[in-house]
Formats: sequence, structure tokens, C-alpha cells
Amino acid sequence: MLPVRNSGLEAPLWRAIAVYRIAALAYASGLVIANAGDYARPVWAWPVLAAMAAWTVLTTYGYADPNRRRLPLLVADQLVTMAALTSSLFVVGENELAAGTPTLTVAWHVSPVLCWAVGGGRRAGITAALAMGAVDLIVRAHWDQAAWTGTVLMLLAAIAVGYLVRIAEVAQERLERAIELEAATRERERLARDIHDSVLQVLALVKRRGAGLDGEAGELARLAGEQEAALRTLVAGRQQPVIAGDDLDFMAMLSPYASPEVTVSGPADPVLLPAHAARELLAAVTAALDNVARHCDPGTKVYLFVEDEPGEVVVTVRDDGCGIAPDRLAQAEAQGRLGVAQSIRGRLTDLGGRVRIVSEPGEGTEVEMTLPRTPIS
Amino acid sequence: MTTAIRVMVVDDHPMWREGVSRDLSAAGYDVVATSGEGRQAVRIAAAARPDVVILDLQLPDVSGVEVIHGLQTEVPGVRVLMLSASGEQQDVLDAMKAGATGYLLKSAAQAEFLDAVSRTAAGDTVFTPGLAGLVLGEFRRLATAPPAGPDDAAPKLTERETEVLRLVAKGLSYRQIAERLVLSHRTVQNHVQNTLGKLQLHNRVELTRYALENGLD
Repeated sequence: MLPVRNSGLEAPLWRAIAVYRIAALAYASGLVIANAGDYARPVWAWPVLAAMAAWTVLTTYGYADPNRRRLPLLVADQLVTMAALTSSLFVVGENELAAGTPTLTVAWHVSPVLCWAVGGGRRAGITAALAMGAVDLIVRAHWDQAAWTGTVLMLLAAIAVGYLVRIAEVAQERLERAIELEAATRERERLARDIHDSVLQVLALVKRRGAGLDGEAGELARLAGEQEAALRTLVAGRQQPVIAGDDLDFMAMLSPYASPEVTVSGPADPVLLPAHAARELLAAVTAALDNVARHCDPGTKVYLFVEDEPGEVVVTVRDDGCGIAPDRLAQAEAQGRLGVAQSIRGRLTDLGGRVRIVSEPGEGTEVEMTLPRTPIS
Repeated sequence: MTTAIRVMVVDDHPMWREGVSRDLSAAGYDVVATSGEGRQAVRIAAAARPDVVILDLQLPDVSGVEVIHGLQTEVPGVRVLMLSASGEQQDVLDAMKAGATGYLLKSAAQAEFLDAVSRTAAGDTVFTPGLAGLVLGEFRRLATAPPAGPDDAAPKLTERETEVLRLVAKGLSYRQIAERLVLSHRTVQNHVQNTLGKLQLHNRVELTRYALENGLD
């Protein structure tokens, strides 16, 4: 079964084929009238022509209905057209055909090939063109350049139309995706406004009023604060990573990590990085965050800071936790025990960057990751 | 006894407005007016003459930038502490450039909020790590953006100012920064204030240039 194809260009293409078929029929009729005197059995030319006209009308209506543009109609079209072409052997006569008198269909027999290309794509078009071309060559029974050219032209047309249909499908898909994205963005903005005006404010207020209270009230206030921060990130945080070519906005990727404990700061403009580098850098940042969660007390504040320099992007993960003594850090690293630091270093080294870890007991830990921008070539 | 500092609260959420007003009164401030709309706030401020305006960045009628411009025209020298419920990056930056003197997230703790108000009243700038990141990013953008005019010089930070802002963005307190760089607390505060001053001056020059190019010829 043919795949159901749908693009904005589909309907105009089917109409264009109908117009081609009618024009080709008119041209064929003209040539039949002009050449009828040379035919072996001229009387039979008229019923064939009438059948071609009827088939033209039938297919024009048939292909106009999307539900009928299916295999049965396409096969019938191919066979009927082949039959009309083959009838030239009887009507025009083998000798006349060999002498160069055109077939009854002239160029009318290309129509089903175009239909196959539109309905089934390039491969279906090529197959139909080869089948129709073979019949055409057998009917004409002379193997000169003109005969071959007809078949080759038909083949090229099928390829071109099939290709065009595929492009139209891709374009349609992209358009649909863009429209969906726009609708989603608009809806998100509307929600963000509503939530900002109501829920966020109340949650922030609950957190504020209850912050100094003990026991359950204080706990409720803390929970409200957490939910406020989470909701704020959700509705008003940066949108999904902006796709500019193959680049990702690193700031947008970081924004979901903001929480009461984690502050994200950096430029207002997108910080664009190649997708692979951005994902690796994010993995390194996540590893640093995990490290804080594992080794520091709950509630330790973390600051994620992004700098977008012309030659490099610098990401700093600083916590105000307990910190590590410098000799312990070096020692652990020397013994290969510093799993997290190594995973951060490894990722940055693979990207051609470097990592600097500064820590003092009681001063927290600062992990500075520098990623050079590859020159634009 | 000195007269209490006059404060005005502008926020479109009535519950929030009342809560903040109560806290401020309890802390000894004189809450002279409240408003839920930007245009109304500018009109009221002209009569109430507050020293400090606590301004929600997102108001229903006009943008924060417009309110700040209006307040500065009506009450010259007024200090504006901006609050926002969400980190709307570009909006925050625009409001700071327009002349706000401080910025705080609404989720800040009560003590942090009152500290920010007292610092704003004293004429200090109130920076969050997020704001420091935005300001650094803005100087970087101005340095690399093509100049808007022939005599356009992008404002630049000194090495020390950059150093201080980077530490603010990494979440260090002024006290920690002062210790690390062996400076006085006051000097750290001045460096931060200077960075904002440069940005606001540049913004005024740009606005004047824009007015000359588009309005007066």
C-alpha cells in the first residue's frame, strides 16, 4: 500500500497533472486528425480517441478526491494508458510506426507515470516510467535516438516530480512543527502571566510570612518557598534550548537547575555552543552539582556563573560548603580517587578545555571550567 | 530622633503589597503610599515624595522601565529597589540601566529584604549574583557590538571592577570579597556602584542620541 502522503503542495500537483492530461489529449487529437490518412485502420482511431477522452475525464475526477488516489486507480490508470498505447499497433500499423508516424497517445501516456511519482514518490515514478517506456519502445519497434529520448524524458520527469514531492513533504513538516512551537510558546507565555499574577505571589508571601515561625508553620513556609522557586523556573525560566543551526543556548539548558539553593547567573543574551560541547559541559556542571549534594551539608548554596568571552566560555560552579584542604585534593587526585573531578576534567579535556579547582576548608569549593570556542571556519 | 525614611510600595498583588507594608512599618519605615499600577504610582509619587520605591518589575499597565523614568522625573533623586517574582533576565537588565538602584528576587528572605531596603535608602546599590552576571554580560556585549555612532565609545570596566563583579556573580558577600582582595568593605561597594553608574550613563547617552536622531531633526 502506498503511504498516505500529505503536503500543502499535493492538491495543486494533482490538478497540474489533470491539466497536463487534457492538454496532451488535445495535442494527440490534433496529430491523429492530421495523420489519420496514413493509418492502417483509420476508422478505429476515433473509438480509441473517445476512450482516451473518457479516461481523461474519469481520472480528472478520480484524482481530485484524496480518498481515491490509491493503488487501484493508479494501477487502472497505468493499464488503460498502456492499452491505448498498444492499440497503436493495430490502428496505426506496424510499418507506419516503424516509419516514424507517432503513436495514438503521443505524449498522453506520460500522465500515469507522473501520477505514480506524486502518489508514491521517486521510486514508484521510476518503476512506472520504465514499464511505460518499455511498452512505448515495443510499440514503436524502431530503436533510434528519438524513441529512446521519449523514454528517458519520461524517466527524468518521474525523478524530478518524485523529488519535488519529497521536498514539499519536508517543507510541510517543518511548517507544522514551527506552527506547533509557536502555539506552545504563546500558551506558555499566557500561563506564565497568569501564574505570575496569582500562584507565584501567594507562594512567595506564604514563604515570607512563615519564614520566622517554628514547627509546622515554618515547614509549610519552606515548602511554599521551594514550590515557588520550582514554578518560577518552569513558567518564567528561559524557553527550551533555542536552536540556532546546530548550536544550543547554554543558559537555557542551565535554567532548570535554578532552585532556592542554586543560583544561575550569566548574560541576558543566549550563550550559543555547538550541541555536543553544550551537552558535555552540562554533564560536567551536573557532576559538580552532584558532588556538592554528596559531600556538603543540605542547604549548601551553589552558584552557577556563565561568562561568554569572545574566545571562550567560562562556567564556574561555586559552593559555600565545607571545602576541601588543598593537600587532600591533590592527594586524592594522585591516588585516582577523585572520581567526580576526573569526570569533569575528562569531559573538558576532550573538548579542548581546562578545569581549575580551588578549595579551602570552610571556604567552599570553586570549579572553574573553561571551554575555548573553536574558530569559525 | 531622625525622621523615618519614606517608602512607597508598588505591586499589583494586594496581599503582597499589604504584607510588605506591614513588614516595613514594623521595621520603622514610614510607608507613605502604595499602588498597584505603574501610571498611578508615578502620579501618587509626585505628591507623596518617597525616598525609596519598592517596585515590582511586572505591572499590569506599563513596563518597569517606564515607571522608573516617570518616578525620576517626578521625584528627582528617588531610589528604586526592584523586586521580581521571576528572573526575567532582559527586563531586569533594562530596568537597572534605566536607573533602578537595586534588585532583589521576591523569594528573598525577610531579613535579606529589609537589609536591601536599608542599603537602598542609604544610597548603596543592591546586587544579586544574577544581576552581576547580567551586568558583566552587558559590558561584554557592548564591547563586542558594533558602535552605534561615530563618537560612540563602549563603556569599559576596570580590571578591579570586573574582578569584583565576577566574585559577586559567584555568590561571595561584600565582606568575603573585601577579605579576598584585601580591600575595605566600602571600596568593594564603590566598585559595584561604579559598574552600574557606567551602564546607566551609557544608557542615557544612547537615549539622547536616539532622541536627536529620531525626534529632533
